[in-house]
Parts: sequence; C-alpha cells; structure tokens
Amino acid sequence: MDEDVLTTLKILIIGESGVGKSSLLLRFTDDTFDPELAATIGVDFKVKTISVDGNKAKLAIWDTAGQERFRTLTPSYYRGAQGVILVYDVTRRDTFVKLDNWLNELETYCTRNDIVQMLVGNKIDKENREVDRNEGLKFARKHSMLFIEASAKTCDGVQCAFEELVEKIIQTPGLWESESQNRGVKLSNKEEGYGGGGACGGYCSML
Amino acid sequence: MAAEEKWKGRASKQQEEAEEGGEREPGVLLGRQLPEDGRFAYAALCGISLAWLFPENEQSSFRTEFIKGFVKWLDLPDAVLPAMTAFADGLGGEGTETFTEILLKDPILKENPLLITQDLLSFSLQDGSYDARARVLICRVSWLLRIPLEDLEVLEESLLESLKEQKEEESETAEVSRKKKERRKKLKRYLLIGLATVGGGTVIGLTGGLAAPLVAAGAATIIGSAGAAALGSTAGIAIMASLFGAAGAGLTGYKMKKRVGAIEEFEFLPLTEGKQLHITIAITGWLCTGKYGSFTTPWSSMLHSSEQYCLAWESKYLMELGNTLDSLLNGFVNMMAQEALKFTVLSGIVTALTWPASLLTVASVIDNPWGVCLHRSAEVGKHLAHILLSRQQGQRPVTLIGFSLGARVIYFCLQEMAQEKDSQGIIEDVVLLGAPVEGEAKHWRALTRVVSGRIINGFCRGDWLLSFVYRTSSVQLNVAGLQPIDLDDRRMVNMDLSSVVNGHLDYMKQMDTILKAVGIKTKGCQLEGKGSGSLFSPQAKSQRAAGSEARRKENTRKEEDEAGSEALAAGCAHRQNSSSSALGEPSPPCPDCSHSADSKKQAVGKGAN
Repeated sequence: MDEDVLTTLKILIIGESGVGKSSLLLRFTDDTFDPELAATIGVDFKVKTISVDGNKAKLAIWDTAGQERFRTLTPSYYRGAQGVILVYDVTRRDTFVKLDNWLNELETYCTRNDIVQMLVGNKIDKENREVDRNEGLKFARKHSMLFIEASAKTCDGVQCAFEELVEKIIQTPGLWESESQNRGVKLSNKEEGYGGGGACGGYCSML
Repeated sequence: MAAEEKWKGRASKQQEEAEEGGEREPGVLLGRQLPEDGRFAYAALCGISLAWLFPENEQSSFRTEFIKGFVKWLDLPDAVLPAMTAFADGLGGEGTETFTEILLKDPILKENPLLITQDLLSFSLQDGSYDARARVLICRVSWLLRIPLEDLEVLEESLLESLKEQKEEESETAEVSRKKKERRKKLKRYLLIGLATVGGGTVIGLTGGLAAPLVAAGAATIIGSAGAAALGSTAGIAIMASLFGAAGAGLTGYKMKKRVGAIEEFEFLPLTEGKQLHITIAITGWLCTGKYGSFTTPWSSMLHSSEQYCLAWESKYLMELGNTLDSLLNGFVNMMAQEALKFTVLSGIVTALTWPASLLTVASVIDNPWGVCLHRSAEVGKHLAHILLSRQQGQRPVTLIGFSLGARVIYFCLQEMAQEKDSQGIIEDVVLLGAPVEGEAKHWRALTRVVSGRIINGFCRGDWLLSFVYRTSSVQLNVAGLQPIDLDDRRMVNMDLSSVVNGHLDYMKQMDTILKAVGIKTKGCQLEGKGSGSLFSPQAKSQRAAGSEARRKENTRKEEDEAGSEALAAGCAHRQNSSSSALGEPSPPCPDCSHSADSKKQAVGKGAN
C-alpha cells in the first residue's frame, strides 16, 4: 500500500478558535460535517493519501487547537511541516485581523522558510459575511500565499484547498525530496558521531 | 540540609494533596489535577519519548498499548488518541522542549516536578509488572524535566515500602472483602493481576531497619499516601506478588533442579540485603585463590540497586582459569615483555603471527582452561536467558553487568533472549567489560531487541591478554573487549577504559574504579551523594540513624569535598547529582551533561582511526 506513495507530507492547520479547522479536516478526510463539533484538545492528527498529477502523496495532517489554553502547545508542531493551512472565518473579522499574529508565529517557529502556505476563508455558506473575498486575496498576495474560500459545511473548495497545497509542495522539490528519504529518522541519528578520519594510534588513551 | 527540607516540603505538600485526592477516589493523582493542556503536554511528552526510545517496528504494539493506557490514566478524551499515537510512532518529529516548558511552568509542577515521575511510576506499576521499557521511559521523561535520577530511586523505594505496609495491615477478614472488591475493581480501570500467594523464603520484606527516621520524615510518606493510592489502596499485595515473582524467594530460591546441559554450577548469591523495584545481576569472569576466590568480591562496592545478585557459575573451571592467568602474568611472561605486548596491541599491528615465541610456548597452559570456560560461559548465558524469560526474578527490570567471561555470559544470554518471543521489557541495561565476544556490529544488532536501556561496552585497547587468548577463537582480531562496537543505535555506548584498565586482570582488581567510570552507582557514590536518597549502604544507614546532627555535619563536609570526589570518578564525574552518567541519563544529546555522548563519540572516533 505504501509502495506507490511518492512521499509523506506534513501539513499543519492553524487559525483562531472556532474558524472551522477541524471541520475542514473532517470534511476532507471523512467527508462528513458536524455542526456541533467539540473543540479540539491539543492537536488532532489524521492521515490521508491523495493523488495529485498522478503522484500519490500521503498527508499527515496536524490539526491544532485554536483555543487560547492550548496555544502554548502549537510551537512544537511546526517543526518539519511542509505545508500550512491558515484558516479564518469570513463571518468574523477578528479572525482575519489576527492572521498577522499567526504569520508571525509561523515565521518564529517554522524550521524552514520555503514552507508552502495557504490561506483559507471558511464558512462562505453563511449569510453574514464580514470579510470580502478581495481582502483575503490581497492579504494572501501580500504574503505570497495560496488563497481559496471554502465551506466545510457545503464542501465548497475543501478538496481543492488541499490539492492545490500538495501540488505546490510537490512542485517545490527541495521541500520534500530530502524529507522523503529521512522519513522516520530519529534525532539520535543526527547526534551520533561517526568518528572522524584522521590517523592516530590508540596511544593517546593511555595517558 | 536543603535537600532534606525540600523533601519535607514535598512530602507535606503531597500529603495534603493526597488527602484531598484520597477522599474523592483512590488514584486521583497528579494526572487529573493538571489542567487539560498540562495533561496533553504530559502525554505528548511521553509519546514523543517513546518514539525516541523505541522506534523499532517490533515495539509498535508496546508504544500503542502504553499510550492508550496512558491517555485513559490521565482522563484525556479519546479524541486525542490519534495525535498521541502519531506522537508515539514518531510522526511529525516534534521536539520535546515546548511540552517540558509547559509542564515546568504549571503551578503544581513548578514546585515539585517529581510528581510527574511519581505519576508515571504509579502508572507503570498499576498492573503489577514493571516493564524495563517503562522504567527507561520514566528515566527519560524525568531527565527531560531535569529531575535527578536519585529521586526516582527514592520514589521506587518508598513505593515499595508503602505497598509492603499495606500488605501487612491487611488482616484475613480484610483480605476476603478485598478480594470481593477486587473482583469489582477488575471491571474498572485499576485492573490488577490476580493475587498470587506469596511464599518462599524471602517474603517481600524490605530492609529491616532501613533508616526509619529519614523515610518517615521524607520520602515514604509521599507515596505512602499518594502513589500507592493510585494503585488502588488495597492492591499492595497483588502488585507485590507479581513484581517480585510469585515464588517470593525470587532468584536466590532458584536451584538448578538437574544438570542443564554441561552446566555444573549455577546459583544466585545475594550481594545486598535490600529489596528494590529493579535488580542488578553481576557476573564474575574468573576466580583466583586468595582474595578473589569468591564470586562476590569484585562487586563489593557496587550499589546500583539495593537489590543485587551475583551469579555463581562453574567455579571449578573459573578458578583454574584464574590461577592460570595469574601464573602466566607472574611467572611465564615478565613485566618487560608485558609492557611491550601492551604497546604492540595498542598499536594495532598485532596479528596472530607476531606473538612472541616465549608466549606461544606457554600458550597451551592457558588455551585449554580458556577454551573450556569460553564454551561454558556461552552455555551458562543461554541458561540465564531462560531463567530471566521465565521471570524468576519477578516482573521487574534487570540490569546485567559482567566482566571478561561474565560479559560473555551476558552476551550469550542476550543473544538467546533475542531469539525468543516476549523477551522485551525484561532487561534494562547491560554492561559488558572486556568482553571476549565478537565485536562486529551486525552481531550486536540483535541485542537491541531485548535491551531497553543501554548496552555499554567497556573496552581496553591495550588488553594484550584478551587479544592473546582470543586469538585462536576468532579469525580476525575483532573482539568487543578491545574496541568500540560500531553500532548505530541509541542504546550502544562504547566506553574506552584504557586509562583505567592496564591489563585484563584489572577488570577484577579495579572494579570499583571501573564501575564509577562506566556510571554504575557504587557505595562511594552514595556516600558522596546528596542527602535526599534513601539508597544507602548499610554503614551510611547507621550513620543516618545515629543522629541528624552528625549527619548534617557530615553531609556538609561531603558537599565541600564534592569538587575533590568528582575528580575521583574517572571519566564520568561531570555532575554530582548524576553519578549514574551512563545509565541514568538515557539520552545522549544532552546540552549540559553530554558526557556519555561525548565519550561515545570519542570512543567511536578513536575506533575509526
């Protein structure tokens, strides 16, 4: 099952509390929607294999909790992520305003600078829109991010968001190639000394 | 003493907590006092540590089971399971820093991070078995939270103490009602293994007069109320029976019923009186007439656990070998020649052909006893494996340590275990000193399957005797006792003992120094150590009991002497409170005490030369 998978990609979903991060993920992985979805604790994790341009990629998606009390935990998830989905709620301007904070955090904790970012404006099925599509687009352009508006409820744009993100990651070869080789390699390997070359007998140890 | 005050503070604080907790439900422990994010961080920390410690595929079921049970233990919703399992499988490669920071900032833990160690210990013991992997995990997590390992030892000891107290309090009628309760409890979360009767000689007793004042004032009360409560307040006996082996008599009770294969002698001798949740078995490499005529002599200063055994095996042959070695060194080969040999071996240009003729003429004297013992040590090792697999020692982690042929016993024991099922989680650490076994990394790979903690290979490059006696047994000069093992695994630790060991016979004579260098706790270490431990040698205990005043003075002096004594522990003295450098801190990449990593690198580096 794993043989034909090109690579495993680590995707992170971040954004303010209640913007629908978990709903987007649930729609994408299980194609379901639960309007009463409980708040995420810490982080949620799901795996899904998708095929983009004939390449199969396994997505390891980390869905972070937006709640303030879990906010301190988020920095630990950024490490090694190749793609980030930044979500805001089009019916709540405050979630859009706070995007800057999230970008700051991303910059602070992310271990690589070529990480692919996607901005998703969620809940477009709702009537009381507060953030215009153009605003979102402008913000995304300014920070060179991908942009899409979506609705986890109606399934609008959800699949597209993930697919585009993966496509972009795969088009940036340096981003995932080395990762796919090192997948699962533990810290210890890096820490182990393999010993230098050099020529010196064992005499030194006698001293 | 500051340490003692700290203990008292902790104790009283925890007592209060435990009293509150105890009223609600037995086992309302730290885990459930933490806020949700704290618990999440705690579980995640364990998950990530598991992934780091046991990344192997064959360990995946252990990881999954552990983390599943742990999420339940902490009362976290099932929704976090996928993420936790992912952590435990090493997906994501998260660092632990954020989680440790959150935990250390928590108001409850800030005062006393030891609560985490205690909670993990209670969790690990809840079903009456103490898996070596769980202990390694506890060490790792404690280390990440900067908790000295001595505290874990104290916790273990005091947990034992309180479990024992519970057991004694239990009258017969209580036992009946307990059994009933227990049946109900089985359906609940605190599942305990069935009660096994405790018989045999050594009933699970602790050291009789174990420094009562100290324990009463400090450590024991901690777990006495909180830790044991977590295990189900009346479950002590069941846990004890399981942990220590149903026979009660344990290893000392083991008698070889009939001759097994070629083995003529095989018996465990107790080295220390105490009882502990983990044990150490030492294996001697040879015997000589005189001072070193007993199996226990070389280990007299070792105090790695307060429950230690020594394996007595094939004394007849080991004595013969030892005496031959002795006469070889004191008669046939003169000192000059020995020095020359040492440097020849050191320079690494030696092959089977360059041995001096004088030595080869006496080769027959040594080759025969050596060959016999070589063969027998392998047999004994295999037998030991089956004893450990049948859990004669109870469900607790075992540390094996041996030199020369004793190390060979261990090596073959591990090789045998590696071929069996359910052999994981028994062995915690192994220490092989001057081991006459093959030094190829590929042969050592199998050992990583059964050893949870560390595999320490102590070698000496100038050990010409080992090089000589092993020459016929192996085509190429690839002996573990002469060189580092180039095995890429976090468990493998190579220690160059060349500065401590001058020749093969030093493994027996310099054992105290070697133990210190390797990071095995010795009685000396304990005396020098902080005042918080209850792992004291008998002498220290009586000193403690004699009066706190005197102790305080003494400890102050000891502390003053610290600088001096640190230098004493050759090669491993980097921090006073981590006298267990190699064994205690399970992770090489350590910023402030990267001793073991360094030594390994150093060793490996030399090996590459």
